Formats: sequence, structure tokens, C-alpha cells
Amino acid sequence: MRYLDFKKFSIYYDPYLIISITLLSILGLFFLYSASDGNASVLIKQSIFVFFGIILMIVLSQPDPQIYYSYSGFFLLISIILVFIAIFFGPEINGANRWISFGFVTLQPSELCKIFLPIFIASYLYGVKLPINLKNTLLTIFLIFIVFLIVSSQPDLGTAIVILLSGLYVLFLAGLSWTFIGSALAIFVISLPFLWNNFLEPFQRQRIATLFNPDLDPFGSAWNITQSKIAIGSGGIFGKGFGEGTQSHLNFLPETETDFIFAVIAEEFGLVGLTILIGLYFFIFVRCFYLSINARDRFCRLVIGGLSLVFISTLFINIGMVIGLLPVVGMPLPLISQGGSSLISFYIAFGIIISMASHKKLVPR
Amino acid sequence: MTEINETYKEKISFNKRLIFLYVAFGILGVAFYYQIFNLQISNYSEYEIAAENNKNEEISVQPLRGIIFDRNGEILVNNIPTFDLITKPFFIDNPDDFLLKLSSFLEIDEEDKKVFLSEFEKAKTLNKELTLKQSISDEDKAKFLVRSHMFENAYVGKRYLRNYLYPKIFSHSIGYVGKPNEDELDEIYEKRSLNKKINFTYTNQLIIGKTGLEFTYEDILTGEFGNNLREVDARGRTLNEKISSEPKVGNNLYTSLDLNSHKAAHKAFNNRKGAVVAIDIKDGSIVTLFSSPTFPTNQLANGILQKDFDELLLSEEKPFFNRALKGRYPPASSIKPAIAMYGIEEGLIDWDFSIFDEGFFTLPEDGRIYRDWKEGGHGNTNLFKAITQSSNTYFFDLAYRSDINKLNKHLSSLGFGGKACIDCFEEDKVFVPEPSWKMNKHNFGWFKGDTVNMGVGQGYLVSTPIQLAKYAYIMANKGKFSDLSLKKDLVKSEKSIEFNKFSNDDWFKLHESMVNVIEGNTGTARRLRERKNYIVAAKTGTAELVSGDNREQYSETRLDDSLRDHALIIAFGPMPNPRYAVSVVVENGESGGSVAGPVAISVLNSLIQE
Repeated sequence: MRYLDFKKFSIYYDPYLIISITLLSILGLFFLYSASDGNASVLIKQSIFVFFGIILMIVLSQPDPQIYYSYSGFFLLISIILVFIAIFFGPEINGANRWISFGFVTLQPSELCKIFLPIFIASYLYGVKLPINLKNTLLTIFLIFIVFLIVSSQPDLGTAIVILLSGLYVLFLAGLSWTFIGSALAIFVISLPFLWNNFLEPFQRQRIATLFNPDLDPFGSAWNITQSKIAIGSGGIFGKGFGEGTQSHLNFLPETETDFIFAVIAEEFGLVGLTILIGLYFFIFVRCFYLSINARDRFCRLVIGGLSLVFISTLFINIGMVIGLLPVVGMPLPLISQGGSSLISFYIAFGIIISMASHKKLVPR
Repeated sequence: MTEINETYKEKISFNKRLIFLYVAFGILGVAFYYQIFNLQISNYSEYEIAAENNKNEEISVQPLRGIIFDRNGEILVNNIPTFDLITKPFFIDNPDDFLLKLSSFLEIDEEDKKVFLSEFEKAKTLNKELTLKQSISDEDKAKFLVRSHMFENAYVGKRYLRNYLYPKIFSHSIGYVGKPNEDELDEIYEKRSLNKKINFTYTNQLIIGKTGLEFTYEDILTGEFGNNLREVDARGRTLNEKISSEPKVGNNLYTSLDLNSHKAAHKAFNNRKGAVVAIDIKDGSIVTLFSSPTFPTNQLANGILQKDFDELLLSEEKPFFNRALKGRYPPASSIKPAIAMYGIEEGLIDWDFSIFDEGFFTLPEDGRIYRDWKEGGHGNTNLFKAITQSSNTYFFDLAYRSDINKLNKHLSSLGFGGKACIDCFEEDKVFVPEPSWKMNKHNFGWFKGDTVNMGVGQGYLVSTPIQLAKYAYIMANKGKFSDLSLKKDLVKSEKSIEFNKFSNDDWFKLHESMVNVIEGNTGTARRLRERKNYIVAAKTGTAELVSGDNREQYSETRLDDSLRDHALIIAFGPMPNPRYAVSVVVENGESGGSVAGPVAISVLNSLIQE
């Protein structure tokens, strides 16, 4: 049974996901408190997001997946409109127009696209026969690229990459033909130099170059990675203790509350702390895997699979960057980094996952 | 049935693909975990050291600079303590609020605030200290100290100021210190093998010699830097500060400069433009090196308003210009003893040889007239009279008969066109005009008339006051000399000029003729006789800046101050055993005997009658 029956109404939930996500969120608050140098206002703001986020997750678990299926196009449209509002009317921060300000809080609507794009694609491909024909494949890819280009024009390469991946995951899981995958990969590899020269900003090329050769620019873009590695490495097995990370607190590490919070955790809690943290994430992945395999229909399968892979990708891109294996790109550590938009979007994603996992199709007796 | 089949096929395909992606992420995850393991376990010690080095700061402590003394042990330059208000930006959340809080009881200049705010972010990021206000008054210090419990992020720090006790007298000889610029800082890092990460306890403290003796003897005066190692915790608080090496105080500098003679020179010049150089004949050490006008060294070393600095820099008087070492003046008649030495050595004249001076010399080649300063001339003139009364005609004639190349060699041996001093700052060695120089510079061959002009120290021949002093010193010491120097008791080898014909008797007669310049009734500087109570040998000079063909023209040029002739004198005494040689140039002073002469006598008096 996936629901509590209170005679009049039922609550749908998944105990494993709710408990592990809540645990991770609370742990995140604890880490954030240290990463922000004990800044109470940061902690309170984030706590409010976590509290209402978890409630939102439970609320979104209640509707039948059929609702998400029927309104998927509407949700995606709303998300894209919000992105346009951010581009044209939002405040410009550091040369980017990613945010919509609501006075007390600013949100990043592009985060919603990474949830509703895969859901829309899943609904679109729901009835498509295997293998997916070329027309459907190209239409889907066209849609993915449109959303990708809109978001990257903000500019926000990190989120745009995740959106691109989110769409491709669903397309792949739905049964994209291997022939198509093979030829697309070949074309991609061939056009790589062209993409490098025409689509990447000079600072992005620099970041990739320094990844392979940090000595190239020890005080520029490689500085962050060098300091991040020092922070992680000097954490050792048990870490320096809560609030004792010198790299984190003496301003050697950049963006400690957001992108580089993983390095703060590594410095203060060591390999032991990281293993516990990674263990929690691992548990969520395994649970999502189980839920998607056992989902009630193709739409639910694709959505659970797609959304959980978005979550995994965000985590891997963030950690990969912080430990120096991937180029520096703005990407939060899911459920932990400071910032309401990322947090809320993942609560929405898990709300939808739980809805799909806990509503069983009523089989006529 | 087909629908169920289709669903089944789709489910299997989905499962396979999901497993494929999860396995791919699994492999990536293992790689990531391996990297984390590498960082935290395998290379732990390396990164631990890196983190330690990041947070621990090496602080170089500058030693106290050496004291500078005059030749009698009088202190000329020392260090006095001053107190600065120093901030720790790392502990300041809002710099504007911080300044507001301080301003409620301390007055802080807008300029200081601006500098503080502009440097704030950088200092905060690097956890470095930042000086907010330099040299605060005792009252401000007390005001701050009673409130210091409210300011964990600021303190009053002690610093030493360079203190010039006679700031307007030794401006050019001693020079001044200042903050190093970027290039100089790099040089210091390299020379003293200091770690670039160091922080000189607080900003603005590092000083280096910029000019004069402060620059020349920088290494002696500086001493050895000390090192402190500051350990901080994660909150940036200093855990402890270990002294890894103590600073070694710089060595004192004992100079040959004489305080009283500089005071006398300063007074005698009374801010007119010019220079005086005096030399101790015993060892060639410089006792007076004075250029006028001067500039205030304390302000230059410890902070001068930009407005005041610009005023000094743009002043027509050019106070920064060291006239003693760099001023180029025609030696004029003061060159005559040198020409005389050449004439005797080459056998062109002797003390009995005489000419009839009718007031001008006619160049045989083209009939060009070279005038004497005295209308109608000096009549029958031998060498003694030619020096005492400064006959131009006599020396025009002698120069006319000279070989320019040999004459140049002779002048070079007396120090013209060469560096006179071994530890002076930026001396100009000028040049002796060779025929080849004229060809290159003016694209014109050497005329006989050019040599004739050189016979009276005019034309292309120029020299600096220090060169004139060296020349006077060589003559006073009868051809024996050492290189000039400013540091006391410097070991130097003695040199001498080789003569074949010029004998000791000639030296005696030359001295006698120069003594007569002052002591004789017809000497050009006879008015100086009453100003002293010992005997001085001298030769005056009046360097013409504009040569006029007739008296009317000459009178006209006199109306413009800057075109008036420079007044010169070289002198040594007391005779017959001279102890000091001196040269004086007074720009636009007109008459060597009556204008430059009194300055020379004042300086000699201060040295001889002490």
C-alpha cells in the first residue's frame, strides 16, 4: 500500500524517498551554516525553502499522474514564458538575465524547464511505437534544442546543459534507435572543432583548457580548482571539524555556499563525511531506479527515469567540477547548495516521482 | 494481444536502457570516488601542507635604517617613532559603517578614506592589514586607545619615520627615502630573497633610498630583514606569531660631509641658484656638496601634498636639479692656470715670457678679433700678471699656439670630462670637446678659433662644480690626488699627474700667482682680502652666456637676469699648506670675484676657523 486511507481521503507517499530527501535537506542546512560562515539569515532563508519545499513535494505527490500527463504541455509552456519574462523583464545580475524577482525572493524559472521538458517529451512519446521513427525523433530533438537555446541565451550554460540532457534521457529511454544515436555521435565528434570555435565564449574555452593543464593559468580560472583541490585534500579522512575549514573560511575557496559547497564538506568532514553524503545520494538513486522499473505505465517509467537522471547529472557535474575532473560551470550540489530555485525544482521533481510511484492503476477485478 | 506484446517489448527496452545509463553513472561514480580518495588519502600530506601555507603568513619585518653622521659625529639623519592607525579588513563587515564609527571621535581625511575604501576588498580577501591614518597625533592615539575595546578590527601600530635634522641643507648630498615603486619592489624581493607572499607587517612601511647617499649606501643602511610567521585559525584570528629571524638594524653611515660648512654655504647662497663643492686635500673626501636652491627632504620622505610637490617640480628655480654634480658651466677664466701648466709643460711659455696686451687678440687666419675683458688691455704681460689680472689676450695667444689634442689630454688628466666622485648620486661627467665631437655634433670641422676660445674657458668647454673643485684640489696638492668620495675613511689609492718639464718650482710660482689674485693689489678678487685672516689662492671666472661684439650689446644683455654671466671661483687655502679646495658657481652672478668669491670664503672660513 502506498497510501494512508483516512476513510474520506488518502495521502500518497513513498517513505524511503521522503525520509532520505528530508535527511539530506537537513544535513544540507547544517553544511550551509558552516559554509556561509555562520550567517543566520542565509540559514533561515534556506530553512524556509526546505520547509515549504518538502510540503510542496508532498502536495505534488497527491494528484494522479494522469493530471501531469494531460497538462504537461501547459506546464512546459508556462515555464518557457517565465524564462522569457526573466530575459526581458528580470533584473540583470552579473550580466545575466536569469531571475524573476518577487520582492522577498528571486527565482530562476529555467530550473522548471529541466522538470517539465522531460515530462512533456514523455507524454509526447507515450503512444509512439518502437523503434521511434525519424520524424518523431527529429521533432523531439528540435524541441529540446529550442529550449536549450532559449536558456543558454540568458546566458546560463549550466542549466541549459542539464535541460539538454533531461530531454535526451527521456528520448533515449523511450527507445531512440541505436542507428540514430551512432550517426548523431559521429556528426557531433566531427563538428567538435567547429563548435569549440563558434559556440564557446573565450572564458569557457579557457576553463576547459585549464582543466587539462592547470599550470596554464595558476591565478586565473585554475585558481578556483587548485584551491578546491587543496580544500578537499587537506580534509583527509575525518576532516578538520565543523567550522574549522581554513580553505573555506579564509576566502581561498570561491562560492562556498553554492557551487563549491562540496569542497567545504570535504574539508570539514573528510572522506568519512563525504561517504555518508554520497551514500544518501546513492540510496535515492537506487530507490528511483526501483520505482522506475516498477512504474505503472510507460509515461510514469519515462518520467521517473528522466527526472532521476536529471538529479544524478546535476550531482555529477557539480562534484566533477569541484574535484577538478570537469570544467568549471555553474551547477549546484542538489538539495544542499544555497539557492531556492534549484531546491524547489528538485522538490517538485520528487513530488511528481512520488505521485507516479504511489498511484497504482486500478485494475478491474 | 499485440498491445500487450508491444508494452512488454517497450518495458524490456526501457529497463535495458535505464540499466545502461545507471551503469555508466556507476562507472563515473567510481572514478569520482577514486579521485576523492586520491586527494584525501593518497595525497593528503601534500594538500595539508598547501592549506597550511595558504593560511600561514610570512611577515617580513624591516630593520631600522642606519643613522647618518657628518665627519665630526653630528647626527644628520635618524629615525623617530610615529604611530599609525591600522585596520584588519578581514574583521570589518561594512567599511562605511566602520569609518562612520571611527569618525565619531577621530578626524580622518577624505583622501585617507578614499584610499582605504579602494584597497579594502583586496585586503579583506587576502586577510591583510591596511593603514588607515598615518602619524596620528598623541591626542588621537589616546582617543582611540580608550575605545580600543570597541575595535577588535583596528589597532595603533608603531612605525619609524626617517627624520632629516637639516632638511634644507643636505637635500642633494644625502637625498631622501621613499616608498618603492613596483619595479623597485620586485628588485628588493629578488635581492633580499624575500618570499613574494610576505606582508611588510603593515602597508606603507617599506622604505628605500631614492636619491643621494640614501640611495648609494642603501645596502649598508638597510640591514637585514627579519621574519615572523603568523598562524591563523579558520576565523582569521592570529593564533600565534613566531619570530623565525630577528631583523638586523642597518649600519650607520659616517660621511665626510661637514655640517658647519653646509650651514655656511646655505646662508651664503641665500637661495640664489648655484653650487659649492669643498674638498679635504688630505684624502680627497668631499666636505661640502651643496646645490642651491634646496628642497624639503622630510616632506618628500614622509609625505608631501601633490600640490606642493608639483610646485617644486615645475619651479623655474629647478630645486631638484643637483647643480653641484650636474650643472654644466663654462669654466671661464678659472681654466687659465690649467692652460698655463700646459704651456710650461710643452715649452710654449715660461714665467719670463711676455706679450704686449693691447686689449684684443687677432686670429692670423681670418683676422677675427678676440677681445680682452679690459678695454685697452694690460700692456706688457707675463704669466704671473696674466693669471693675477686674468689677461685674456695672453691666453688667447698661448691657446692659439697649442695642439688641441694634447691640450685635451692635459685637461682630461686634471679631471675635466670625467667622473670626479666614486659614491655620488647621478654625477654628470660631461666631456672635453674633441674635434671629432664637434664634427659629429655640429657637422663642422674644428677651427683654430675654437682652441683660442678654450684658452679662456669659453666656447665648447663645459664643466661641473665638482669637476672644478677636483681641479682646484689637484693644483692645491701639486698634482697628487685621490678620487673624490662622500663616505668617511674610504680606502682609495693616490694618483698623480706625470710632468716632464713642469717642476716643483713651477708649482710654487703658480700658487704664488693665484695667491696674488686675492692678496695682490691688482688681483681680480682683491676685495676678498678683508674677509679672512689667512691666505687663500684663487682664480676667478665669469662665464659669458651671450657674447656681445661691443659694449652696448653687452649692457643690454645684462638687463635680462637669466642671460647674465655666471660667476665662478676656485680657491684653496690656507696657504702655503692648503687643507681645503673649493669651487663655487653662482648662476647669473656676473662677477666671479665679488659674487662667487664671498661664498667660497664663507665656506673656507667655516672649515678653517672652526
